[in-house]
Amino acid sequence: MMRFDLTRVPIVRAIFVARGPQLALQLGAMSGLILVLVAGLLGTPVGSRNPATVLVWIAWWAALIIVAVPFFGRLWCSVCPLPLPGEWLQRGAMLRPRDTGRGLGLRWPRRLRSMWLQNGAFVLVALFSLPVLTQPRLTALLLAGLVLLSIAISMIFERRSFCRYLCPVGGFIALYSQAAPLELRVRDAQVCAGHTTKTCYTGSATGFGCPWMAFPAGLTSNVACGVCLECLRTCPLDNVAINLRPMGADLLDSSRIRLDEAFKSLLLLGSALVYVFVLQGPSSTLRSSAAAVGTAAWLAYVAAFFLIIAVVLPALFLLAITVGRPGTPGWLSPSQGFRRFAPSLVPLGLAAWAAFSVGFLLTNASYILPALSDPLGLGWNLLGSSGMPWAPIGGSLGAWPLVVILLIGLAWSSRRVRAVAEELGGGVRAAIPVWAFSLLVTSVMIWVFVA
Amino acid sequence: MGLRRLTGEHLARLALGLIMLGLPLGLVGAWAVARTAASPTTVHGRVTEDGGWLPGTLRATVGTPLRLRLISDDVQHGFAIGQSDSPAVDLPPGEIVDTTLSFSQSGTYTFYCTRWCGPNHWRMRGVIEVTGGQPAISDAIDPLYLSLGIDIDAPHPALVVPGVRPSAERGEALGTGLPERMRSRQDFVRRSPVEIWQGLRRDPSTTGLSDSQVWDLVAYLWHSTTSIDALSDGQELYAQNCAACHGEDGAGDGVMAPNVAAPVLAGHESGDQPSSPADFTDRSTMLGASSALLQGKILRGGMGTGMPYWGPILTDAQLWALTDYLWTFQFEEAP
Amino acid sequence: MGLTTQFSKARVPVLFVLAGLALFLPWRTPVIAPVERTVRVVARDFAFTPGTLTVNPGDRVTIELASGDFVHGLHVEGYDVNLTAEPGQPASATFIADRPGTFRIRCSVPCGPLHPFMAGRLRVGPPVAFWRALLLAVLAILVGGLALRHSSRAKTADQGFP
Repeated sequence: MMRFDLTRVPIVRAIFVARGPQLALQLGAMSGLILVLVAGLLGTPVGSRNPATVLVWIAWWAALIIVAVPFFGRLWCSVCPLPLPGEWLQRGAMLRPRDTGRGLGLRWPRRLRSMWLQNGAFVLVALFSLPVLTQPRLTALLLAGLVLLSIAISMIFERRSFCRYLCPVGGFIALYSQAAPLELRVRDAQVCAGHTTKTCYTGSATGFGCPWMAFPAGLTSNVACGVCLECLRTCPLDNVAINLRPMGADLLDSSRIRLDEAFKSLLLLGSALVYVFVLQGPSSTLRSSAAAVGTAAWLAYVAAFFLIIAVVLPALFLLAITVGRPGTPGWLSPSQGFRRFAPSLVPLGLAAWAAFSVGFLLTNASYILPALSDPLGLGWNLLGSSGMPWAPIGGSLGAWPLVVILLIGLAWSSRRVRAVAEELGGGVRAAIPVWAFSLLVTSVMIWVFVA
Repeated sequence: MGLRRLTGEHLARLALGLIMLGLPLGLVGAWAVARTAASPTTVHGRVTEDGGWLPGTLRATVGTPLRLRLISDDVQHGFAIGQSDSPAVDLPPGEIVDTTLSFSQSGTYTFYCTRWCGPNHWRMRGVIEVTGGQPAISDAIDPLYLSLGIDIDAPHPALVVPGVRPSAERGEALGTGLPERMRSRQDFVRRSPVEIWQGLRRDPSTTGLSDSQVWDLVAYLWHSTTSIDALSDGQELYAQNCAACHGEDGAGDGVMAPNVAAPVLAGHESGDQPSSPADFTDRSTMLGASSALLQGKILRGGMGTGMPYWGPILTDAQLWALTDYLWTFQFEEAP
Repeated sequence: MGLTTQFSKARVPVLFVLAGLALFLPWRTPVIAPVERTVRVVARDFAFTPGTLTVNPGDRVTIELASGDFVHGLHVEGYDVNLTAEPGQPASATFIADRPGTFRIRCSVPCGPLHPFMAGRLRVGPPVAFWRALLLAVLAILVGGLALRHSSRAKTADQGFP
């Protein structure tokens, strides 16, 4: 498999190892967060004019889903401002280790060391998303809440326990970063085998031990690595590499997937489906119910959400997997089949989220400059664009760009399905039902977009 | 331990401090300064259910311009001063609109919302207390309905109704021979169409005319005592203020009508006797009302029925233009 | 497997031909004489009623926007139709529906929190685009699942883990 180690290029390595550039980006992100918090709490309550809603849910979210995650993996996590206050307090340092630090440093409870908490956090945010997405105060309170939570977690538990086990966005990024052409891995496992100190995990004077509690030599996918670059700085044997690689390389090994990650693939795909159908679909009653948090109509929506995500979609998926079973040698149990086919849902889900986000971005991008020009609603015109009218982009193309994105995801996913079917000795016959499942999910979204 | 390392960390902390303290301080400071500034005064506009105009009372002095920064906090609103020539200002949601008001006389002025913002849109009003200067010479006279002793809350059934819609154009052909005393504006506004018809019917000059032709004369009298400008003004005022409840065609079936019949604001001082908006196309009631009665109703409001009071908002000329326009729901200008 | 190998060799031209057919093959739609249509769309509570307007290609369509609560706007993507209305003051626009397809109708005046999601659809003619896209989706599955050589290596030697 082709890989090009970027750290072999001296200037690139220097930029990665130096803490300055990363810190500059982190401080930039922090400034953005502060602007969002102040504007959200003090600025206008009108969602289309306030930077809190516009910068977070239109600009940053689109950049994350369309560019950062598919092409740069988890790179956002290395500059994300949410855990930084907690981390700096915990470490007692912003740059190199200083033998200072606060916090109890407890290990994360064993029973909670899985993706289920993150899955739950994502669902929770999703259910309350309509009011939060559209009201600046609520967006600010959500982000402030996450910052405070991460500080609290950092003072009690070790390293980036918040990021790894709780952050709802982190769970999302983790899964889809597997599609990216960028990865952090060790160069030679034998070198690691011979190195007893394991400074990449324990830390040294030059860097902290992996905040994500991962063992670099054991990384087989982008899911567990937040690309914070500490191991690049601590490894005394220069054995850490940042590789350019073919997209989706992590999806090739379907045998390593655990149930929580497999379920996450289905959960996030289902969430995209629900989002597309509720927010862009034909039923305004459904939309209003999803927005009317606390009412009976909303409870009905929540019930329907769970029904689709936790019952209908998994049942259909399992059906598709087991239908191809009879007569094929070497077939596994439904649970194992579920885990083996789950990675093929990653490109499908990523395409669904990307298509949804592109649609939302094209419609609402014209709000960004006016919101930045008058961030607190005080009548400023910093960028001269305060009076810019709303202007959706690309109306004559309709939803075809979104369809193209879906088709790319579908083709990619189908290829993965075929590959897994071959691995399991099932061939095309085993792949067809799963293809049908993917086609069903995709056609619902195509119908919402173009019909 | 190298000096370099310490400096790096300190620089980082300095940068962080600048950002975490400087940025919020700057932003919050700017916000606080704007909020507490004496001038211009910031007025937030919200739908009545969420507070209406905040603040609802402003103060100004004669001779000093009142600078206002208006900002809508939810939907499209508008701002205007009642009984004033100054054009209304639109308030797009979330955008600051600056305006300056000048007052030459002291008194209490009403400002109000000019773009529909829910069923309680008409309740979105505030006052400006203007002090100083010469007190306004009170030239207020009693509204016509008061001086005539008309009970505007009493039912006004029409004892006689026309068979077809009376036409002013047909009436004009017939009415050229009418004596001058019967064609005054004063006369027209004081009596209901039924009373006018009865007066005309009894008059010897109409002996040869049929009942419906006399109705045409009534329509002609209406049309000849008003003007094209007044009817046009009335139409605009009706569309902006009345059509939402009374319907674009005057039938009392506007989009807000269901809200009026069951008022939204509980415990409001008016609204304990809700009823449907009046149907101006109903001959059996409309023709029994005089223009003075209609003008009084519009001026004073509905006393618990949900009909707004327009006294502080519309000038006399506007009120009469509106009542003139209301007759278009009963009379044709031309067939 | 033989079919797959042949597919692999000829995949690019076959792909283009099939995609071109799916996209551009003329769709036989029944020709219906264009008529004059008037539709009253009521905007209220972040919804357009009716939410879907169905017309035939060539129809002369008049949309009357009436509002039930606040100032709302109506913008039809793909056609240059822009209206603003508030209770008591409806607004109309007339246009010829000469471009077939499904076009989003969006509210163009901020009218509260759910404003960005206040949308409807104008359907001119049958939803041919949907069927074309569906065909392309089947094609995408075939492309991904059959026509391309797939590498099914579960592990690669140079990944460097034990």
